[in-house]
Amino acid sequence: MDLVQVQNLCKSYPDSAQGEFIALDNVSFTARAGEVFGLLGPNGAGKTTALRILATILQPTSGSVRVFNFDVTTQADLVRHSIGFVSNNTAIYDRMSAWEMVEFFGRLYALPDDHLYPRMEKLFRLLQMEDFKECPGAKMSTGMKQKTSIARALIHDPPVLIFDEASLGLDVMVARALQSIVMDLRDHGKCIIYSTHIMREVERLCDRVAIIYKGKVIDSGTLEDLADRHSQKDFEELFFQLLTMDDNKSRQNGTCPGLSSLSGCNENSTRIGTL
Amino acid sequence: MNWLHVKLIFHREVRDQLRDRRTMFTICILPLLLYPLMGMVMMQVAQFHREQHVTIGVVGYENWPTDFPLIMEDKSEKIRWKKFLADDSMITEFERTDLKQAAKNNSESVGSSRQKSTESAAAEKLLRQLDSDVVIWVPPSFKESLSHESLVVLSNQRWERSQLAVQTLNERIGAWHSNWLRSRLMVSELGAAILTPPQVQHIDVSNDEMKRAIIWSKILPFVMLVWALTGAFYPAIDLCAGEKERGTLETLLCSPARRREVVWGKLLTVMCFSIGTALLNLASMHTTASIVMSQFSGLGAGDMIAAMGPLPLKSMGWLILLVIPISAMFSALALAVACLARSTKEGQYYLMPLLLVGMPLVMLPMIPGVTLSPGTSVVPVTGAVLMSRALMDGEYMHALLHLPMVAMVTILCCLLSVRWAVRQFESESVMFRDSERSTISQWIRNVWRQREDTPTPNESLFCGLLILVCLFFGRLSLGGLPLNWLSIVQSTIAVQIGLILAPILIMATMLTRSVRKSLRLNHPNASEMAVAFLLAVSLHPTYAAFAAMVGAEYKLGDQTIDMLMQFDSIIAATPIWCVLLILALIPAICEELAFRGFLFAGLVRNGGHVRAILVTSLLFGLSHGVLQQTITASTIGLLLGWIAYRTGGVACTIVFHCVHNSISMLLAAHSSRNASVPQWLTWAIESNDGQLGYTAAWCTLSVGVSITLIAWYATKTKGTGKLQSSESKSISNSNRTLKRV
Repeated sequence: MDLVQVQNLCKSYPDSAQGEFIALDNVSFTARAGEVFGLLGPNGAGKTTALRILATILQPTSGSVRVFNFDVTTQADLVRHSIGFVSNNTAIYDRMSAWEMVEFFGRLYALPDDHLYPRMEKLFRLLQMEDFKECPGAKMSTGMKQKTSIARALIHDPPVLIFDEASLGLDVMVARALQSIVMDLRDHGKCIIYSTHIMREVERLCDRVAIIYKGKVIDSGTLEDLADRHSQKDFEELFFQLLTMDDNKSRQNGTCPGLSSLSGCNENSTRIGTL
Repeated sequence: MNWLHVKLIFHREVRDQLRDRRTMFTICILPLLLYPLMGMVMMQVAQFHREQHVTIGVVGYENWPTDFPLIMEDKSEKIRWKKFLADDSMITEFERTDLKQAAKNNSESVGSSRQKSTESAAAEKLLRQLDSDVVIWVPPSFKESLSHESLVVLSNQRWERSQLAVQTLNERIGAWHSNWLRSRLMVSELGAAILTPPQVQHIDVSNDEMKRAIIWSKILPFVMLVWALTGAFYPAIDLCAGEKERGTLETLLCSPARRREVVWGKLLTVMCFSIGTALLNLASMHTTASIVMSQFSGLGAGDMIAAMGPLPLKSMGWLILLVIPISAMFSALALAVACLARSTKEGQYYLMPLLLVGMPLVMLPMIPGVTLSPGTSVVPVTGAVLMSRALMDGEYMHALLHLPMVAMVTILCCLLSVRWAVRQFESESVMFRDSERSTISQWIRNVWRQREDTPTPNESLFCGLLILVCLFFGRLSLGGLPLNWLSIVQSTIAVQIGLILAPILIMATMLTRSVRKSLRLNHPNASEMAVAFLLAVSLHPTYAAFAAMVGAEYKLGDQTIDMLMQFDSIIAATPIWCVLLILALIPAICEELAFRGFLFAGLVRNGGHVRAILVTSLLFGLSHGVLQQTITASTIGLLLGWIAYRTGGVACTIVFHCVHNSISMLLAAHSSRNASVPQWLTWAIESNDGQLGYTAAWCTLSVGVSITLIAWYATKTKGTGKLQSSESKSISNSNRTLKRV
């Protein structure tokens, strides 16, 4: 069952330098229950924008986005109840302990006390957070913060989970732990959208991927499909090959600058990436 | 709206703020420390001030009559005397001649401090040389002929000590003078009783408590409002810009709480701290001040200071009641402004403009003579402050009379500010703003390349403010013209075409693709225009009554009334078609194209029709320059804005405006000519002592007619439809540009 359906999604922002900046151009993909769907792309490709639209933080300019069969524009409340969103930008409160933070969000999801506290106990145990339960956010390490964020996103047991570059800045140990959490969640039938630009993670985690570059999906499918289609076993090579191909194509069309000036392009596209 | 979410967010934010040491320090600790410390410093300054002596140099003290000495050494005296002989070696021959000269020239009596420019340099040198704050020169023959010789007092009014010394010396000389006079009268056998004036006894009917309330009621609301604003601002920055900076806002935005609920939760928190800060400051300042003042009164200070004892508890209650709505308004404003900031640092920059905007409203009630009246009750903040003052003074009936208006204005302002804050939160471009990366030249190129059919709301607002500034300076420079028909024509054309029409035409050509759309030049619809014509006629009696009411509330100055009379007589002496062309048609076209055209076109975008109507009417009112006209024009501007919105263009409002002005001009001209009312109009217009006015029958009937005509516009949906289509066109247009990019 397709829990996430994105069709012809477009998003543009006013930009003082270019007038209108297109962050997403006709993006379409679907993700099913019990699978990890990878959203791949270099920095500023539009991954964060797409995921923020899924999380109802941003409004799509056009196209249709449905999560758990709810429309993100018209049924935003229901969508928010069916997703858990973890990103680098979803920080935790400095002056709140891990326990208080998860409790606060649990109450926002209107979980009754007799349901909320057992759930919290369980999550804190599973994520091995019992040691820093009372630690205020300001004193936590990056790994602790990420675990708190995940506990916060899982508190209402949503069918869809969105991880936006969640492993950024984590050390190997914590990144491994995160990967095992994600795999565990998949095994429990959750639909997981996982955006990253780290190829090792993709190979370990993702069942299917969409490669997104300059706001467009340039290819998608299972890892095997992609490898066969482009006759390239090494996924990092494959990824780079796809981006270069796209750059060459656009250079022939004489439109946008190539990979060499990628940073120039990205500077604008990260506009929405940073809150 | 889920109030459970609001409550949860409110609880969380309050707890968060209470855990923040910085906030707690500014809000709780600082006020408790600040005022006692300030009080301590003030006490010390006062001590210093009391102990300050002035030095008076007396040159030629040997010439002073010994039977009436001026210098009396007294321990408690604040004067330190320095005596110099007339031929003291420190005084040069030159200065001595100068002083003698001054004494001769000086026809005024003792105590005058006349200085001529030629002698001032020498005099200043002398003051320094003698190390005195003031020098009094006694001429050699002063002892013999007291009444014929004048004393010369040299002072330097630049020095504060010198000012003080002159004052002290004058008092001393005055006392000496009356003493001397008295003895002279005794000698002349007239008796000193001749000098005793009739006694005047003052009786003050207010009691001490009332006096205290009045003094405090002037100071405390001001202190409280300033702190309510400051107390709202810092938490607001932390709750919006701070959360953006720390990245926690996105966490909250993907939770089930809706934006509106987030805003309300945050708003209540900010309000809570705003009220807390205001009350703590109030209490702390009040306590300290009462103690300091009681100390002063113990040291023999004035009655007024003595009256500043503690404020009655009842008055304190009224103040607390005032702080709630005002804090709500300031909090919403602070929250909306803080949303704009990307970081706490940027947020701090916005505090000053907000304070500058808020301050006049807070200062206005402090002007002597400003009291609660229908006029002041409609001014936000000011009305509420005056209301609380009236309550503190015990004028309950008076306050009750104005309560509905003050409450309405305050609630309206609160709702508008909250609405603004919610809109800020819902706007992606505000919440997810990133730092500008473009240079100014890139920006200008982009403004040109990305022109749209209509101006943006910001462009419109900027244009409106530009027109107001132009009008301000334009009117000042045109103010000196003599009042005659030619100067009226010149100034009207200069103002209307040069300062109102020209800016919008330039901006419409430079900033937009379609001058027609940005000026909202629609195809005139005959029936709509006819209704506009009729409405202008039928609404005029109501307008005239309203204008008279405003005139009665805010009295015109005598000078203005004279000018208006002169103006009317000039109109009466000019051919009527000229008057209508210059004073009705041209203003109608220029002002409508500007306010209901260019400004409206920009502000109405993105579903902002309420904003467009409110802002254009306010700007339209302000453009009239005179307070009374500002009020009436703003009110009629609301209707014009609404008609412009319903009909989708300026055609109808031009007709309305032109007809309205024409009627006013015709009535004024006819009244001034003392012309009789034509037979066919006697049912509507009558003459009262030469002034033409509407008959009671027509006044009543016209209200009904106006309501019917307005209702007719309300039922018309065509105009709005047209507007929507043009708006959707502009959206599709922008999509096209998007695709092109």
